[in-house]
Amino acid sequence: MTAYFRRVLLGAFALLPALAVTPAAIAAAPAAPAAKQFIQDSGNKLVSIVNGPGSDSQKATNLRGLVNNIVAVDQIGKFVLGRYWRVATPDQRSEYMGLFHHLLAYNITTQIRAYHGVTFTVGQVQTGPEGEMVNTVVTRPGQTPAHVQWVVDEVGGAPKIVDVVVEGTSLRVTERSDYGSVISDNGGQVSALLEAMKKQLHKMQAG
Amino acid sequence: MSIAIRTILPVVAAAGLLAGCATPPPKTNQAAYQAYEQQNDPLKPMNKAFYRFNDTLDTYVMKPIALGYIDVTTQGMREHVSDFMSNMKAPGQIVYFMAAGKPRDAGTMLVRFLVNSTVGIGGIFDPAGSLGYKPVYTDLGLTLAGYGVPAGPYLYLPLFGPSGARDATDIPASFILTPTAAAPPSTGLRIFGYSSTALNLVNTRAQLNGAISNIKATALDPYATFRSLYRQHRAAQLKTIDRRDIVTPPAWYPASVRARMKPREYGQQ
Repeated sequence: MTAYFRRVLLGAFALLPALAVTPAAIAAAPAAPAAKQFIQDSGNKLVSIVNGPGSDSQKATNLRGLVNNIVAVDQIGKFVLGRYWRVATPDQRSEYMGLFHHLLAYNITTQIRAYHGVTFTVGQVQTGPEGEMVNTVVTRPGQTPAHVQWVVDEVGGAPKIVDVVVEGTSLRVTERSDYGSVISDNGGQVSALLEAMKKQLHKMQAG
Repeated sequence: MSIAIRTILPVVAAAGLLAGCATPPPKTNQAAYQAYEQQNDPLKPMNKAFYRFNDTLDTYVMKPIALGYIDVTTQGMREHVSDFMSNMKAPGQIVYFMAAGKPRDAGTMLVRFLVNSTVGIGGIFDPAGSLGYKPVYTDLGLTLAGYGVPAGPYLYLPLFGPSGARDATDIPASFILTPTAAAPPSTGLRIFGYSSTALNLVNTRAQLNGAISNIKATALDPYATFRSLYRQHRAAQLKTIDRRDIVTPPAWYPASVRARMKPREYGQQ
């Protein structure tokens, strides 16, 4: 009972930092070796920022820039809103996207300290329905190594990360349940989600 | 622990009656009705009440204890505690694997139990893993799932956390299938039972500490987030068991036939 619950949470742990990482856009998936190389390069950059010199705020800025480069944030945002994307007005959509980017940035910032000393190794690549799935093992000091799969797909002509799967739990699916639950608990109102996101953002800015 | 079950089950039942069920949206509102069906959480009011109960308990009791425990232990020690606890569950899991018709996994579990209980000093170390017998996992819920029993409505249980109508059957079953349940009752055994349960709780909470704080800090609706994570993880566990469920080609078969029968080496995922 506890063993699998632990796995669930360990999984979630590794997912959340990369928070808004997944698009619904299905384009031609990049070839497996290219996807593997992409994850290797992106991972190296990420590790060098997290473990490198500089203040936390400096690292946060660098990380945000990197994430916007390697992660298909807009596509993930759209996937996370799911069927409510169609219900939302154009104004709500753009407000949602703005908040989504902001929340992602704050989530990354809060993670930096926890990830100091992180290392990773890239393993096999499998072709999945959503793109190439690159297997990695992420090791942090004082933590059990986590098996993390990065789903890479071609977005706008370049390979991008569209989902992170940790111990079998997908980041974007989890996010979709989270956001969808806020909307359905409030009678299907997208505005309720936007309110909740703003509140969360204020909370993170304050803390 | 059986005392815990005896006290908890009536409480759960009573609270369920008190809290009642969630009201489904009218079927005419198709989108909302579908979302409700998909959540498969008709006992949401009760579940949420238990979630709040656990959350409070966690904030004021479990978390402070876990933080203290992290201070006085190393990651290595915490892993050995986990290994020890998993080893205690091995006999039960051998039964489940056999019941599920997974003799290969049952064999792995048997070797793990025999090797780790002896060479691994009662399961504190995991020499079987180094010999190539990597950890496997199952429980009654997964076994029933193999028979085609649906997951049923979501349940959030006080103390135990996320579960479901099918998966909750594992809680009483695993108490019966522990090695200590078979031994004649004695004071020493009772003390061992209580202390190992307490240690297991604290150790698990400590291992999960980063993840739990993370979810609580970043999720808009932690209850729904834990629910989704739980379900995805159960699905992944089932898939892992299925993926390992391959035939063993007899050694005297020609190499080409053996290669065809063995799409993936055992242990690789």
